[in-house]
Amino acid sequence: MLGRRGSLRFLAVPPFAWLIVLFVAPLLLAILISFRAERGPIDFGSLLQASTVQYEKIVGTPSWLRLLATSAGMALLVAALATLFAFPIAYFLAFRARHRAPIFLILLLVPAATSFLLRVMAWKVLLGGSGAINSFLIWIGVIQDPIGLLLYSQAAVVITLIYVWIPFAALPIYAALQRVDRSHLEAAADLGAGPWSRFWRVTVPLSLPGVLATLFMVFIPTVGEYVTPFLVGGTDGFMYGLLIQDFFSRAGNWPLGSALAVIMLLVTVALVAVALRVVDLRRAVA
Amino acid sequence: MPARSRPFRQCLAIVAVSLVILATACSAPNKLLVLEWSGYEAEDFWTDFKTANPEAAVTFEIGSSDADVLGKMEQGSQADIFHFYTGWQQFYVDAGLVKEIDTSKLTNWDKVPESFKALGRVDGKQYYLPWDWGFTSILYNTDHVPEVTSWDILFDDTYAEHISMWDDGPGAVTVSSYIHGWDEEAITDAQLAQAEQEWKDQKALNLHYWTDEYADLCPEVKSGDIWVAYAWQGCYADALYDGSQPIAYATPVEGRNSWVGLYGISSKTANYDLALEFLDMKLATLTCSNAVTLFYYGCANQEVMDAIEDPVLIEAFGIDDPSIIESTNFTPPVTDAQRTAWTEMWGRVKAE
Amino acid sequence: MTAGMRGVRRDAIGVGHTRLPLGLIYAAMLAFLYLPIVLLAVFSFNANTSLSFPLRGFTLDWYGQVLDDPALLAAARNSLVVATVAATAATALGFAVSVAVLRFRFAGRRLLLALAAAPLVVPFVVLGVALFLLFNIFGVPRSLLTVALGHSIVALPYASLILLSRIVGLDPALEDAAMDLGASYPTTLRRVLLPLVGPSLLAAWLTSFIVSFDEVALANFLAGGDPTFPVFLYGQLRFAGRLPVLIAMAVLLMTGTIILTLIANRLRSRHQ
Repeated sequence: MLGRRGSLRFLAVPPFAWLIVLFVAPLLLAILISFRAERGPIDFGSLLQASTVQYEKIVGTPSWLRLLATSAGMALLVAALATLFAFPIAYFLAFRARHRAPIFLILLLVPAATSFLLRVMAWKVLLGGSGAINSFLIWIGVIQDPIGLLLYSQAAVVITLIYVWIPFAALPIYAALQRVDRSHLEAAADLGAGPWSRFWRVTVPLSLPGVLATLFMVFIPTVGEYVTPFLVGGTDGFMYGLLIQDFFSRAGNWPLGSALAVIMLLVTVALVAVALRVVDLRRAVA
Repeated sequence: MPARSRPFRQCLAIVAVSLVILATACSAPNKLLVLEWSGYEAEDFWTDFKTANPEAAVTFEIGSSDADVLGKMEQGSQADIFHFYTGWQQFYVDAGLVKEIDTSKLTNWDKVPESFKALGRVDGKQYYLPWDWGFTSILYNTDHVPEVTSWDILFDDTYAEHISMWDDGPGAVTVSSYIHGWDEEAITDAQLAQAEQEWKDQKALNLHYWTDEYADLCPEVKSGDIWVAYAWQGCYADALYDGSQPIAYATPVEGRNSWVGLYGISSKTANYDLALEFLDMKLATLTCSNAVTLFYYGCANQEVMDAIEDPVLIEAFGIDDPSIIESTNFTPPVTDAQRTAWTEMWGRVKAE
Repeated sequence: MTAGMRGVRRDAIGVGHTRLPLGLIYAAMLAFLYLPIVLLAVFSFNANTSLSFPLRGFTLDWYGQVLDDPALLAAARNSLVVATVAATAATALGFAVSVAVLRFRFAGRRLLLALAAAPLVVPFVVLGVALFLLFNIFGVPRSLLTVALGHSIVALPYASLILLSRIVGLDPALEDAAMDLGASYPTTLRRVLLPLVGPSLLAAWLTSFIVSFDEVALANFLAGGDPTFPVFLYGQLRFAGRLPVLIAMAVLLMTGTIILTLIANRLRSRHQ
């Protein structure tokens, strides 16, 4: 009979192996590629000829570094607002919906299974310059010229990203809120706490692991986001992830693309490390 | 025990079956893998081959740009056939990735005009088969734009927020070289820097850069949001058919640009004869006409082009006006270093 | 806690009894999420090939054409299979990671956690190219299986984060009690832990499924000759006349996904 200790092997080894083969190995390969001077066929001999040309190029292009900073800032905004708006949704799922939560959850997530491209095309019908919303507003006389802000702008990218993330952001928070139960709140009430106080001093702290997981889960990939700026960003809503995508797919310049990605990786990891220190995750996860 | 592990075994069975469905990748004599552009995998574009070889299994890998196609072929794609556009012919030959085409076995070869055949020749050898072609020029809405005489209309701030340039660095450099009269094959650093600054200034005039003709550009041309665009004739024909906006296609004084799509057979293919037949059937009447009627692109089979009667298509291809072709500039070959410099320039323009 | 006491307390404190109209907030969010879907559904019955108003008349033609299009159906099937495999792998691995990290102490514990979350930082296209190269080097032919493998990696962080958030709130004493009563650890996991995290497992699976289903960058690099639905969709957009058929398929897929997950949820709750 398999005891506790023996089971560890089966729990820890498969994920480790999976990740090492399918993630760490390719990542190392990508890092090696970033040290190539030119695009072109990659063979093992040339992999060892390291050159920092790509990194020098990036460091020498302030607009790219500024773009990274801007993208990180947008990602932070998206993460903060998505988490904020997702909290009431998660609260609803955990406490109002309770055992019917899975159904409400499914309803929330399924729109994301529809092609993002098609959904954006539908939104463009509503939001575009000659789209339904602008036409309606002009028709009733509220505005004279179409509002350009709704589409092809940085604001459009941020709003779309928040919109896309809220259902997913609600999930870790919902998961964490499930450990709040009546006995906690009754204990607090016994000690004289009112409803708001109970929320802030019991519910929120218990939900913290979920909130933090959400913040990281949204922030980290959004720094490198490319699909949304591609579809609704226009010339102003350009993001760093799209720069990487452009160099890989349109220019076929894998070394430069990889170098850009490595820099983004380092910056993101640094930001996360700082955040973890500030928050002391160990205490929340302990 | 049995009752509890039954659902587990069921799960395992489902997963196993799924894996089997997934991992179907064996090589068979009747298989062809084609590295194609998105949309071209549709059966309409190889229908004659399918009729002649119903047993053959043709599958498609998608390449998203000329650079992507080259990258995949260089890195060992298993494709038997690949499709790319003019300007990139030399790379495949230099890398030994392409096999010569035996034109004596092609039944439709004599229908291809000599100028197109020449585009598929490198160092005197016929490596590529030309297939689709088209123009690049300025598409404009005559309700808002009275006349277009030059490529520099893309920089005209009268039409700010209603212009759309193609999201492509080399394309941008080509436009700059037309406007300033530079030699496209010998752009100097100073010229590139000037182009970079001009395109940075132009950025604010765009509604956005377009990337996909039909999903991106055409709807906005038809809705009247875009008045001036760097465009292929696809959206021109589309807009003419649609009729909701009055659209015209310019012949700028510097001349239009033209591009030709070429097919090559991989040097590593195990099915050379089948691949050759696939290429031959690309030029067959129905397949070729489909490129014309479905994508509004020209086709290298001159008989098909001569047989066009639809006035919209005649207008779109400028068939009635031979002077257009005379002033048209064809995309020249460009070196790797130049392309790298131009794409990096565009990366800086977009990030500004 | 006697019944009498509960009766007295229930109005004074409640879990979730706030004056905020939570149901309304949820409904509003749902409305926003479904607005473009509803629009797409409307257009799927519209007798016009372009997405624009005014509507030109009701038709079921597009849905009929879906059934007539083997390439479309094949692409949809491919995506469903890939997403199912990727989601199952990601959820299983995510569960393993969560339990290992939260219930055990071992060297490499923090490394495992970091690795499981790390794919979030790497852009899909970078991973796609790198995996493409890796598969080439080892002669692994590209196919839907390689796409599923790639997707399982990018979905793993989401599954892990959801399950970690849930399991961190569960008292290990429950599992200890079961083992004290003589159950083996695998049995304990299956009969004690699994039921408790049921909804979160579903959330993790569904999220992973969704990440995989609409993913294009990895699919472009790792697929062999069989397209997934989003790749196919993008190719078909060039055909102006096909757009409504694609929309009809997307609506069908979404409806199918809702039904399937509701069924899965029913099965899950019945097993408890």
